[in-house]
Order: sequence, then structure tokens, then C-alpha cells
Amino acid sequence: MKRTVDVSIPVGPVHPCWKEPARVKCETKGEYVLSAEVELGYMKKGIERIMRGRPWQEVMFLAERVCGICSVIHNMVFIEALEAISSIPVPDRAALLRVVVNELDRMQSHILANFSYCYTIEHETLGMYLLDVREKVMDELERITGARVTCAYIVPGGVRFDLRAEDALHLRANLAAIEEEITRYMGMFENGPLIALRSREIGILTREAAQEACAVGPTARASGMPETDRRLRHPTYQKLGFTPVSREEGDNYARIMMRFQEVLQSIALIRMCLDSLPEGPIRGGGIPGAGEIAYSGEAPRGELSYFIKTDAAGRVLDIAIQTPSIMNIEACCHYMLKGVASLADVPSTFVSSDPCIACTER
Amino acid sequence: MSLLQRVKNFVRSKSIHVAYVDVGSCNGCDIEVLACLSPRYDIEQYGIYVHNNPREADILLVIGAFTPGWEEKLRSVWEKIPDPKAAIAIGNCPISGCVFNRPHSLIDPPVAKHIPISAQVPGCPPRPTEILSAVLAVAPVVFKDYEVKKR
Repeated sequence: MKRTVDVSIPVGPVHPCWKEPARVKCETKGEYVLSAEVELGYMKKGIERIMRGRPWQEVMFLAERVCGICSVIHNMVFIEALEAISSIPVPDRAALLRVVVNELDRMQSHILANFSYCYTIEHETLGMYLLDVREKVMDELERITGARVTCAYIVPGGVRFDLRAEDALHLRANLAAIEEEITRYMGMFENGPLIALRSREIGILTREAAQEACAVGPTARASGMPETDRRLRHPTYQKLGFTPVSREEGDNYARIMMRFQEVLQSIALIRMCLDSLPEGPIRGGGIPGAGEIAYSGEAPRGELSYFIKTDAAGRVLDIAIQTPSIMNIEACCHYMLKGVASLADVPSTFVSSDPCIACTER
Repeated sequence: MSLLQRVKNFVRSKSIHVAYVDVGSCNGCDIEVLACLSPRYDIEQYGIYVHNNPREADILLVIGAFTPGWEEKLRSVWEKIPDPKAAIAIGNCPISGCVFNRPHSLIDPPVAKHIPISAQVPGCPPRPTEILSAVLAVAPVVFKDYEVKKR
């Protein structure tokens, strides 16, 4: 069949709205996008190739630097995989502290994603409000772990630092402030007429399409797939009685609101952890040994899987990482962008799926 | 110094346009550059405007160890920036390759091999305040009396 394509428009790799380089090639008919294709390969560093044959103490820091935005979950999944290989027990207090830090990391990642979206649809005011809230979350991360980004908090058998009583107080006070502000900004996002024009009914990903594209994370949950949340299978989250939230619309608006809801949910989870935090050690013993395992966790963008094979000295013989963004980029380019009515909506739709190119290409 | 030069100096000291380009980092430095925009650090109070358009930029922030995908592209991005211009390397990656500079990796640091770098901000990642002070320190050195120095 002959297709009428007016022009093929490349968007990127250096683009005002994109934080990382990726090129989206759109075949358009007038302004109407017929199809889109993504071109990656600007960020390939070969991290897995560096990791092979190195001791876990080095791979731990490399794993964190797969993605700087969601570094805590990379750290957590890698270390928990090591613990599962050599059955190292984790003290209760450390398990809960891991959840606290992981949820703080998820909050800052979601708020950053929402900032990017607001910035892309030219609602800079809301974007700046969100960045301001994010700094509060970063403060808490720094207070607990000692670093803003790539904090290497989680180690085999526990965590590095304890949560002091005054830090817990500070965290609670800050969480109350963050919750109040996020609720206010959610209201602004929900009721803003400009935001609705740019977001509702744009970039729709139906439940069927999301399943076909194997979408994960908030992108899938905004299309009515709450079962994709890997936190449901994590023992500490199961103990906390975690149930994921989901929405049905599947458009840009739903994806952003989904992240706002998850930020509120993370705040509730952190409060539950603080309430049930037992006294005790934060670090047990244990030496990583030989074995192989495939282990998954829920990153801010979706399911993150590590396949690790180690030898008796704790060296990583083989490693394979699957990050969530690659599935979401696929869902974005082949399902969401198809049929977008205007080229102006291409960057905003792409950003709404929260692509992280650094961890996609590693 | 001519009046025109004085006017140019004044204007350039109050309007610095910044573009950033990620040539293969872990994203950690990107989000610290974004954090500079936040009301807490408020990069715009110093007259620095961050956007990502090389054609109207004065300062290019280069983030990341150099990956093969950028082989000729970084040079062309650099050439698109109008004079006077400066490039600042943000983080350890463009300086040394940081943790990625190991056998079997695909990167090719330092970035100074590919484009001229005026300043380097070490750190993995550097704090937003450090990025901010680097931009503020480089700008007067490069832009003040640019036409006089060129002659």
C-alpha cells in the first residue's frame, strides 16, 4: 500500500526539552504523526562489559552508575541478588531503612519526571514548584545517606548508616510539608485548563497496547495494569501491606497523575516504615559466594532485572541488566506517538513516558 | 575602551545562555544541572538562562564520558555555538572517564581531546552550587573585552 508521507521529521538528539540524547524520527502527514521510530546509541558506555570479572565491591558502584536518577534501586537490586545467591540475612531495621531510602529515591525521580513534563508543555511555574519540592526530598536523602545522588547506601547484609532519632523527626516534618505541597500541585495539575488541553486524550496507550508493548512501571499502571508492580513480590513491601494504585485513561494526563499518586503512596510507605522501625542492628554478617540468579525489583520507571553469576570469591563472572525504559520507549514510539495530532505533542508525549536513556543503553 | 565595548561587556555579564549536552554519563550530573534551575539555587538570578539550544548558547556544559555515538556530532554542536563561547566539563566523566574508564568500555575520554574545554568541575556528581560557581567564574574571563582580546 502506498503511504502519503509529507515529511520525515527528526526530533533530537540535542533538543531543548530533552535531558538526554535520543532521536525520534516522525513520519508526518501535515502535522499528523503517522509513525515514529526511535534511534538510540548516543550513550552506550558498555557498563556490563566493564563489570564482568570484577569483584562485587567494584561492581556495586558501577551498578549504581547505570542510572543516576534511580541509583538507589540499582544498588538495592544488585545487593539483594547477591544476598539471595549466598543467603545472607538482613536485619529487620535495615530492611525497613532500605524501603525508606528507596521510596525517597522514587519520590525525587517521579517529581523530576513531572517537572520535565510541565517544562515541556511550557507550564514553567508548576515545574519550578515541583523542583523546589524535589530539593526537600534530596535533603532527606542526603541527611540519611550522606550524598544527594549515587549514595551507595545499601551493602550486603544491611545498610551503611543508621537513621538517628533527630533525622527521623526531621524526615517526618519534611514529609508532612512535601505531602501538603504535592497535594496542592496535584490540584493545580488536575484543574489547569491549559494542562488539560495539552495532556488529556493525547498519546493514548490502551491496556491492550500496553500489554503488547510490555510496558512497565507508571506507564503501564496508568493504562490499568497494577499487577506490573514488582513491589508486590518484595518481602518487605508485602509485610507493609503494599497495594499499587492504577488509572484507566492511559493518556499523558493519566501518566503524570499516576506519578503524583505514587509520590503520595511513597510518603505513606515511609511513614509506615518509620512507625514500625524496630531497634536493633543495621548490618549483619555474610560473605557473597558462588551462584547465579535472576532478580527483579521495581525501579521508579518499572521493572528492573539483574542476572548475576558469581564465583566463590565474590567476583561477578557474568551479568545482564534489563532496565524498564527500553520497554516504555517501545510503547511510546510504536503506540503512543502513532496518531498524535500535532508535532508539538511529540516531545511532551515522549517525556510523559519518562524515558531514561542512560540506563536504557548503559 | 570604546563605548560599544563597554555596552557589550555589561550586557554579556547579565545574560549568559547555557546549553548542555550529555555525551554518555550516568544521568547523575544531568539532574544536578537541572537542580540548578530550582528555586533554591535559582540559576536565573545571576542572569544565566539554561536551555538546550546550541545556536543561541554562550556556554556549553559537557556532561559524560565521550561515547562513540558522539564522534563527529559533538564537534558540530560546538561549531554551531556562536562566538564568544566556552565549554565547561561537568563531573569526573568528561575529565577522566571516572568509573567507566576501564578495559573493555566503549568510551573515549577526556572530552578535551574533541573540543576545547575552558573549565572542569570534578565530582561524581558535583553539587549544583559548584556547577553554578564554575559558570559564573568562566563567564567574565571569556566574555569580557572579547573583541579587544581577539585583535
